[in-house]
Amino acid sequence: MNTKKIALLLLTVGLFFNSCSDDDSSPNVPLGDYEDGLLISHEGNFGQGNASVSYVSYDLTTVENNIYNSVNSTPLGDTAQSIAFNGDLAYIVLNVSNSIEIVNRYTFESIATIDSGLNNPRYIAFANGKGYVTNWGDGTVATDDYLAIIDLTSNTLNAQSISVGEGPEEIIANGDTIYVAHKGGFGQNNIISVVDTNSDNVSTTITVGDVPNSMLLDNTGNLWVLCGGKPSWTGDETAGQLSKINTVNNSVTAIDFGITEHPSFLALDNGVLYYYMAGEVYKMNSTSTTLPTTSEITGLNFYDMSVNNSVLYGVDAGDFTSNGSLFAYDLTTNAIINSVTINIIPGEVYFN
Amino acid sequence: MRYSCLFFLLLLFSNVIVAQSSMDSIQRLDEIVLSDIKLKHYANGYKLKVLNDSILKKNNVSLTDVLRFNTNIYFKENGYGMVSSPSFRGTNASQTAVIWNGININSQLNGQVDFNTVSSSNYSNIAIRSGGGSVQYGSGAIGGTVHLSNQLDFSEHFENKVQLGLGSFNTKNVTYNSTFGNGSWSGNFGIAFLDSDNDYKFLGTDRRNENGAFNNLDVNLNLGYIVSDRDVLKLYHQNFRSNREFSSTLLAPSNSKYESEDYRSMLEWTRIGSNFTSSLKAVHLLEQFKFFENKDLDNFSKGKANTWLIKYHYKHHFSNNLILSAISDYSYITSVGNSFSNPRRNAFSATVILDHRPFEKLQYTLSLRKDIISDFESPIVFSGDLSYNVSKSYTLKFNASKNFRVPTFNDLYWTPGGNLELEPEDSFQFDLGHELKFKTVAFRLNTFYIETSDLIQWRPNNNTGYWSPVNIANAKHYGLEFELDVTKKINEDHSLFLSTLYSYTETEDVEKQQRLFYVPLHKANMSLSYSYKVFSAFYQHLYNGEVDIIGNTLKGFDIGNLGVSYKLNSNAKTNYTVDFRINNVYNTYYENVALRPMPNRNFNIRLTLKF
Repeated sequence: MNTKKIALLLLTVGLFFNSCSDDDSSPNVPLGDYEDGLLISHEGNFGQGNASVSYVSYDLTTVENNIYNSVNSTPLGDTAQSIAFNGDLAYIVLNVSNSIEIVNRYTFESIATIDSGLNNPRYIAFANGKGYVTNWGDGTVATDDYLAIIDLTSNTLNAQSISVGEGPEEIIANGDTIYVAHKGGFGQNNIISVVDTNSDNVSTTITVGDVPNSMLLDNTGNLWVLCGGKPSWTGDETAGQLSKINTVNNSVTAIDFGITEHPSFLALDNGVLYYYMAGEVYKMNSTSTTLPTTSEITGLNFYDMSVNNSVLYGVDAGDFTSNGSLFAYDLTTNAIINSVTINIIPGEVYFN
Repeated sequence: MRYSCLFFLLLLFSNVIVAQSSMDSIQRLDEIVLSDIKLKHYANGYKLKVLNDSILKKNNVSLTDVLRFNTNIYFKENGYGMVSSPSFRGTNASQTAVIWNGININSQLNGQVDFNTVSSSNYSNIAIRSGGGSVQYGSGAIGGTVHLSNQLDFSEHFENKVQLGLGSFNTKNVTYNSTFGNGSWSGNFGIAFLDSDNDYKFLGTDRRNENGAFNNLDVNLNLGYIVSDRDVLKLYHQNFRSNREFSSTLLAPSNSKYESEDYRSMLEWTRIGSNFTSSLKAVHLLEQFKFFENKDLDNFSKGKANTWLIKYHYKHHFSNNLILSAISDYSYITSVGNSFSNPRRNAFSATVILDHRPFEKLQYTLSLRKDIISDFESPIVFSGDLSYNVSKSYTLKFNASKNFRVPTFNDLYWTPGGNLELEPEDSFQFDLGHELKFKTVAFRLNTFYIETSDLIQWRPNNNTGYWSPVNIANAKHYGLEFELDVTKKINEDHSLFLSTLYSYTETEDVEKQQRLFYVPLHKANMSLSYSYKVFSAFYQHLYNGEVDIIGNTLKGFDIGNLGVSYKLNSNAKTNYTVDFRINNVYNTYYENVALRPMPNRNFNIRLTLKF
C-alpha cells in the first residue's frame, strides 16, 4: 500500500516553479524545435517508467508528447517530478529513478545523466556555479533528508551534501542564497531552510505555516511562501497560510486562511499573485493585506498551474491512467482560450 | 422476482420428494477423505481442471509457474518471484478467490492472494474452477476460484518423499513430504523451502535483476481421526513465510524488501448419518506483513489481520439424486496496521444449495446466499448450473451466477482515503461449456460472459487532495476457452500426453470504452510429455499475447521449457528420480509487466527420493 501513499503524496504535490528568464536567446537563430513554447513535465505512473515531457505552443495549437523519447530514442525514466533551467540546459528530476537527466532545453538532446548519490530527488535550483537538489532520502526516515550538490562545470555530483530537515521540496535561489521549503515528505513540516552557497551550510531556518507547498521571489526581494496547512485526515487540521519573507532580514509577514482552507500552486504575474484552492483560482494583489473572498475561475481540477503574461496554464491529470489535459485561461477576462489533451499525469508547466 | 422463484422451487422439491435412501458409499468416502466437498459435488455445470500430483511435480514449485503453463489463467508478475496477480477471464486479482481446503483465504487487507506466497509443493491437488463462485466460496469468487486441497488417506500406508533441487541464480529447493494411514488415523506432513538469489541477466543489456532475492518456507500438517463409524475429526494447518526483496525495474532502482507470514488452521468435525452429513468447522487465519522501504534499516510499515470463522454445513440426502444443503457461517475479523486504527468486521452468511439429478443424464444445482456484514449492505447472490449428458461422450454444461466482492479493510479504513460509503462490487455472469471425451482425446470449449459493476477503484479526489476508493467502474468480459487433451499409450512402455489450452478474452472498461489493462486477448499454452519405461521427457510452451498498459501496449511473448526425467530402482519401494529442466529454452527476452524483464535461459536439477 506504500505505492498508494506515495501516489497520494505525488497528487498533493503541485508546485509552481519560478523558471529562469527566457530572454537569453538571440531573436533570429532558432535554437531548437522546442524553443518558444511550453514544456510540460509528466510524472507518469509511480513505478511504471512512463515519465515524459511534452512541448506545447503558447496558443496550444501544436502539441508534441514524449519529446525526450523521440529525440533520444530512450525512455526518460520514472516519475518526472520537476524541471529547472540553467542557461541552455534543462535538468529533469526523476524522483523514482533517483536520477537527473540533463538535456539541451531547446533541442532536448541528452547531455548527461546523474544517477548516483540521489535518493528521492524532488527539485533543483542553481546558485554560485552549483546545482542544489532536494532529496527526501528514505521517505519513512525523518533524519536523512539532504541537498545534493552538482558541480555545474562537469555536471557531476559533489561528494559533499547538506543535511536538512524533513521533507525538503521546492528550492529557489536568490543570489548566493538558497531557500528550501520543507513540505514534510510523508509527513508535514513548517520550515524554510536558508543555505549560504559560499559555505554550503544551512545558515538559518525560518518557521512558516504548515506544509509550505509553493514558493517564489518577487522583484523587490520578497520570498512568497504558500502553505497548505495540515489536511484534516491527520487529525490535526491547520489553516493554510500565505507568508512573505523579507530576504534581507528574514522577517515574516503572514496572512492566515480559514482552518479548512488548503491553498496551493502560488503564481506571480505583473505584481499579482494567483493561487488554487478547492477547484477554484484566486487572485490577489501582492500589496494587499487581506485574502480575496471570491474566486476568479471555478470548476477546475488542476494538478498544477502556472501564469505567464496574463495567461493561466493549468494541467488536469484526470483519473491518472488516461491522458491528461492542458487548459489556457485569459486572466483579463477569465475566459478559456483553449484546451488540449496531453500525456499521462502532467505535472508542471514551464515557459521555454 | 427471481429470488422468490428460486425459493419456491426449493420449497417444492423439499416437500414433494420424500424418498429416502442411505447415502451411497462413494459420497460417504468423499466426506471422510476430501476437505472441499463442494468442489466435487456442486460443480457439475462448471469447468473444473484438476492438477494432480504428476502434473505438479513436472513444474517449478512456484504456483504462478504451475498455473501459467497449465491453465488459462494469466499472471501479472512484477518480475520473477515478486508479487504475482492472477487474471481469470480478464478479471482482476481481487476477483479471483483462493480456497484453501474449502476456506476462502483472500487477504482481508487487499482482497487478493499473491500467488508467489503459495507453494505448490504440499497439496494433494490444485483445482481450478472457472466461473463465479460467490455463493459457495464468498467474496471475490468472480472470475474463478483456485482450490488448494489436502486429502486424507486412511488406508494402511506410510510413504515419504524427499526432494532436493538446485538451479541457476543460486536457487535451492528442499521439500519433504510424508503421509500415513492406519485405518482410523491419517496424516500428512509437508515442508518446502525455496531460496534464490534470482539475479538473472537482463538479456541484451549488461545489467542483472537487482534486489530480487527471495526465500520462502511452507509447512503443512494435516491429521484425520475416525472417531466412530459416524464421526470424523480433521485438523488442517498451514504456515507460509516469505522473505522477498522487491526488485528494481529497468528505470527505477529499489532497495526495499517485504516479509509476510500466513498461518491457517482448521478443525473440522464431520458426522455422517444414514441420510445426512453435518460438518462443523472452526477456522483461524492470520496474515501479516512488514514492508521495508530500505532493507538495510529496521524501519518498516506493517499490517495484520486475524479471522476467526465458524462454519456449519448440514446436508440432507432425500435420495441419492436429491440433496439439500444449508450452510451458515460467522466470522469475526480484526486488523491492525500503520494505516488503520483497528477496524473490526462481523460477517454472517446463510446459504442453501439444492443438488438434483432428476434423471440419469441431467444434473443441476441451484443455490442462494445472503451475507450480513457490518459496515455495508451485501447483495443476495445466487447461482444455477446444470450438466446434461447428451451422449456417452458429449456433455453440455451451463452455469449462471451473481457474485460479489466486498470492500477490503484497506478500501474502508486506509488513512487517508478509506471510504466507509463503499458498496460491494457486483457481478453477473454465465458460461456455456461443451465437453467431448473419447478414448484418447478430450475436448472442452467454454464461452463466457461476465458483467461487473460498482467496481472499486482508487481515484484522486480533488476536494480532499488525496486518493480514495469509489464504486466507479463497470466492465464487461466475454470470450472463449478451448482445451484439447490427447492421451496415447502406444504399448506397455510408451505413452504420450498432449495438453493444449487457448483463451480469447475480450474486455471493456465501459466508462472509458477501452480494454482493461493487463489482459491478453490471446493466451495459449501447450505441454507435451512422453515417457518410455523409466525415462520421460516434456516440453511446455506458453504464448502470452500483447496486453494494453497505461498509455501503451506491452509486447506478447513465446517461451518454452524442456525437461527430462529418469527413474532409478523403479520397482522397489525405495526409488529415485532425477529431473533436469531448462526454463526459457529459447533464451527469449520478455517482460510480463512493463520494464520488468523475466529470467533468461536457466537450468534446474532435482533429485527425488521416495521411500
